[in-house]
Amino acid sequence: MYEERFDKRGFDELRPMEAETGIIPNAKGSARFRIGNTEAIAAVYGPEEVKPKHFEKVDKGIIMCKYDMLPFSVPDRAKPGMDRRDMEISDVITNALNRAIILEEFPRSMITIRVYVTQADAGTRCASLTAASMACADAGLPMRDLVAAVAAGKIGDSICLDLTKEEEDFHEGGATDVPIAFLPSKNEIVLLQLDGKVTKEELKKIVEMGKVGANKIYELEKSVLKGRFLNESKS
Amino acid sequence: MEIKNYEIVTPGMLVSDSGNGGEGTYSEGSNVFSKFLGTVQNYNGRVSVSPMTSIYMPMEGDNVIGRIVEVSTKYWVVDIDAPYYTRLDSRDVNFRAELGELDKYLQLGDLIYARLFRIYANNSADISMRGSNYGKLDSNMISKINISRIPRLIGKEGAMINMIKEMTGCEILVGQNGVVWVNGQDDGKTAALAAVKFIDENHANQNLMESVRGLLENVRRKV
Repeated sequence: MYEERFDKRGFDELRPMEAETGIIPNAKGSARFRIGNTEAIAAVYGPEEVKPKHFEKVDKGIIMCKYDMLPFSVPDRAKPGMDRRDMEISDVITNALNRAIILEEFPRSMITIRVYVTQADAGTRCASLTAASMACADAGLPMRDLVAAVAAGKIGDSICLDLTKEEEDFHEGGATDVPIAFLPSKNEIVLLQLDGKVTKEELKKIVEMGKVGANKIYELEKSVLKGRFLNESKS
Repeated sequence: MEIKNYEIVTPGMLVSDSGNGGEGTYSEGSNVFSKFLGTVQNYNGRVSVSPMTSIYMPMEGDNVIGRIVEVSTKYWVVDIDAPYYTRLDSRDVNFRAELGELDKYLQLGDLIYARLFRIYANNSADISMRGSNYGKLDSNMISKINISRIPRLIGKEGAMINMIKEMTGCEILVGQNGVVWVNGQDDGKTAALAAVKFIDENHANQNLMESVRGLLENVRRKV
């Protein structure tokens, strides 16, 4: 049984978050998002000519996303470069952003997004997606909505929000991890993965809980994106 | 629903529910949402959003500053800071160009001031240097500014740019693709570029004119 969380949080409570935009001067847009001990940095370049040429689409632009865990981000050294897990996460981030960014405005061009995880403590794909969407908004890309992503799940018998690595590895009763990404103002799900075992009713509860958490992240994203310009006008 | 003028909005935010959306918005039914991170303008109920940072997409008739990146036998290839390179044909220049030795006139890395005169369906564009106000730019000193901040750099009826020109004694040329070219004395050029950078960073500032004047006076005293 899992009655109290390891870090004494409530079951529907997020870890402390912080975010910031415009951190990489050479990129068109950039953002850093941190939730608990998980931190991701995203940079957006482009739109530019499509390389390799055969990926080009005549009626809309494409997104090239690269997710990478830096060697020092995990206790055991992560091998630099893309492995199979990185490629899968790059794909799910691309799919989620395909829905969020209005690509029809850039026919035959490519937007490059690079996401680096500098610290990993579970929920890296959600943090990466949140950071990437903030970087896209910072770059001035036309978007339907920002993406807010959070992991929810089941540990033992209790449903929890925003799992840590310690909780993901919980053995008694097993742990289920469900990363979810929303377009909050559209009420659309753009990413839903499941690793573990849950019933239908539990999954519905998990998605509901994820939605509440994602809305909190969405509020933070909005205030950070706006805040950069509010501060500039004061100084 | 009423939204205030000059309020900052983020992508996906509802800006109007009466279905009258202008530039920078998209609508679903009668709801109008913002496309960009930007500020709202409301003209008699027509709501538009102008982005804080924007990406240059070529438009026909734009006057741009570009750099030669390739010399072919019949044309030059020019980088104008857009997603695609553009082509400058040897017939579209304001001097007589002999085919086959085009690098006599414009070499790799030269800066030119030209006009975009044709956009193709595949996003590529042709530029032209016909006309007396276009041509090769001598100095190689350029700076880049986000195109949504060009109005701040120009100022009301050119007030800002004229002030910078006067105080630094430089020639300044602003391309609609966000490239700013300066020419003049060395210290003047440095000061002008510093002013351009300052405007790019502090574009949301209220008394921008005064702070730029202060900056230029300060720089001048040091040089």
